[in-house]
Amino acid sequence: MPAYDERQALDGLQKLDSQAIGAIYDQYFSEVYRYVRYRIDDVVAEDIASDVFVRLLEAVQKKQGPQSSLRGWLIATASHAVNDYLRRKYRRPVEALSDSLPDHSSSVHSEVDAREQNRMVRSAYAQLTSEQQHVLALRFGQGYSLEETAFHLKKNINAVKALQFRALASLQRQIGEVNYE
Amino acid sequence: MNDLYEALEICLKEIEQGADLDTVLSRYPDLANDLRPILDASVNARSMAIPAPAEDVVRRNRARVLQHAAQMRESKVKSSQRIWFASLRRLAVTLVVVAALFISGTNLVRAASSTLPGDNLYPVKRTWEDVLLLFTFNLQQRSALEVEHENERLQELRELFAEGRAAEVDFAGLVTSQSGNQWVVAGVPVLISSNTELRDGPIDVGSAVRVKGQTQSDGTVLAERVRLLPADAKLPTEVEIEAEEHEAEQQQNEDNSGKGSGEDEPKIETTKSPDSKGEDQTFEGAVTAIENEVVIVNGIEMDTSEAEIKGTPGVGTPVKVEGYYDSNGVFIVTKIEYKESGSGSDSGSGSGSETNSGTTNDHSGSGNDGGGHDSTDDSGGGGSNSGSGGGGGGGD
Repeated sequence: MPAYDERQALDGLQKLDSQAIGAIYDQYFSEVYRYVRYRIDDVVAEDIASDVFVRLLEAVQKKQGPQSSLRGWLIATASHAVNDYLRRKYRRPVEALSDSLPDHSSSVHSEVDAREQNRMVRSAYAQLTSEQQHVLALRFGQGYSLEETAFHLKKNINAVKALQFRALASLQRQIGEVNYE
Repeated sequence: MNDLYEALEICLKEIEQGADLDTVLSRYPDLANDLRPILDASVNARSMAIPAPAEDVVRRNRARVLQHAAQMRESKVKSSQRIWFASLRRLAVTLVVVAALFISGTNLVRAASSTLPGDNLYPVKRTWEDVLLLFTFNLQQRSALEVEHENERLQELRELFAEGRAAEVDFAGLVTSQSGNQWVVAGVPVLISSNTELRDGPIDVGSAVRVKGQTQSDGTVLAERVRLLPADAKLPTEVEIEAEEHEAEQQQNEDNSGKGSGEDEPKIETTKSPDSKGEDQTFEGAVTAIENEVVIVNGIEMDTSEAEIKGTPGVGTPVKVEGYYDSNGVFIVTKIEYKESGSGSDSGSGSGSETNSGTTNDHSGSGNDGGGHDSTDDSGGGGSNSGSGGGGGGGD
């Protein structure tokens, strides 16, 4: 399998060359998928992730595609797509969190299994602002370094540190509230 | 606060590498209380991380993206084919029309030559006129042809009025009267409405203008646009068209000329146009330019060096001119009478007076103007016909 060459892939993308598109997809789909799935724990994440690549094709045809960093463009587009989806979703009534939580009174001494714990964290995460969700998805979902995160957020490192701190504090607070409920 | 952020960053790295939370916090006893909940949250945040997508997810979505790309490629090809096809079709239609013109030649052009505005073949007639002009390189012949075409416009108007047809027309001529919203241009009564666009400057009696409008059943043209023409614009030789409402004026003119009267439809009279050299000719029109002893009336240059001059010369002034064409085709004025602006409109005036009347001949008569200038041929009519007829022949 030939090594991925971003410049070559971008050139092929302009011509809608299948091989170039396939190479880009292979290179980035997993990353985009994990980002989207981190932010939306739903099967729809799969569609949103592949939509990001469809948007890439359309943007390139309109000469609005990425000029340098394909990864940056894809993650930014994935972030917009997720925000759009969440905006639409939250226009509808939100399910009550307590419905999906275990009955604490009957399980004071029982261990909350991993699945329920994850659900609780996700519920708390869903209460964060989209920027906070974004920074946590990049740092803890994607495992990006501070520098990479700063690049994607278009912020300096100190601003990212502060944003990350506030996001984690907020997440912890929300987890506490979910637990309390 | 920066210390806290720094400490958090170091702790996160150590935890990521497998260090125990308490061990990490023990290195920052002062910040431990603040850091603990944040580090707990980071553990939770990390626990949400998603593994790589399953193989079938990757394959399914890869197919979807590539299929979309294929559709885009296809539509791109189709749209470029459409553009090609459209261009090709336009070219083919143009070629067919041109071929039809040149193959059917005189038949089509001849068939179109008698059409009036609003007829299906009328555009062919106008296009053919343009083609003739395009291939007429001699300036004098070209000038004569332009005048001939302008005369043709007035001829068409006469026929439209006679048939009572409403059609979109355009014609050029001198404004010989402005009475409120009723003007007379080249003898044609023109109605100016609030919707009429008056373009390129103030328009007065004596101004050369091009009128675009709609013929009305009462023998007038409702103007859509009246545009001022430059002084050297080619104008039709005078033709008068009187509407019913101008009947009284007509009557007076007819009395003077001794011509028949009493026709109830818009009265059409033609005048002048020199058609043979040496013979005395009389023109009426307006002066469009004066340069020393050369005066241009209705687009015709006239030598006034030997003329008896009455009235005050001036550009835009209606004039009555008597004279003849010399052997060089120059119109020599023997008598020129400048009238008061606005008085003459009526055109009628004179007209009748002279020479050639006859609606069908004025067409060739106009051509003669040109012929007169550049030829000594005796048959003025023949000369003019050769102008247009020659073009028709070229089509064959």
